[in-house]
Amino acid sequence: MNQEIQLLKNFEQDSEWFYNNIGKLREQGFVGKFVAIKNLKPIASDKQIDKVIKEIDKQGENPSFVFIEFVHPQGYVLLL
Amino acid sequence: MKIPVEINYFAGGLRAMLKVILKFDNPHLFLPINAIIDTGSPTTLIGISDMRRMRLSKVQLNKIQGMTHEVNIGGGKVKTIKLENMKFKIGSYLDIEMDVQFPIDGEEKAQPSLLGVDFLEKINANFCFNPSKREAYLEIN
Repeated sequence: MNQEIQLLKNFEQDSEWFYNNIGKLREQGFVGKFVAIKNLKPIASDKQIDKVIKEIDKQGENPSFVFIEFVHPQGYVLLL
Repeated sequence: MKIPVEINYFAGGLRAMLKVILKFDNPHLFLPINAIIDTGSPTTLIGISDMRRMRLSKVQLNKIQGMTHEVNIGGGKVKTIKLENMKFKIGSYLDIEMDVQFPIDGEEKAQPSLLGVDFLEKINANFCFNPSKREAYLEIN
């Protein structure tokens, strides 16, 4: 249970970092890509999610516990 | 009981987001996700990127019993399969089981995970979202 809580805490911190730094990520050329965040920094990115998952695997991380989100261009509106 | 909900600026606007751990026994799944609470969606849907994070193989997908559907989201189409009795853990507040739709294929690869009206109904919650005050929460009696 403690391990689950820790995993969720790390996931929460990485998620928070992503939303607070999305402008910076856009400036750094991540627009139109899925970006994986671990320990408050991008560790993999690509236009295709499957390539990001593969890269995370290669780094020895479990993708299930890594925050991944798509960086939309500035001004893009996603209707749900 | 009040469950705090985060508000983040994402894809053109403010979104109410809840962190949830999804669990399932067979196939074994354990996945924290960040899902948008969407009162415009009747059903809960896992996003394609979250689905990929689970690394479900085709064999495992075939094991999932459920009906396939085609849902329309914002003009795009997503083919889904329903996974029954998925466990949802919402922090230390709540553990529930409910059916959830998983995308098998779709046009919108960046489709986020959505907690729909079925989720709010399941937990019997009032959903309060005040974007001006940047305040959102679920209230369960």
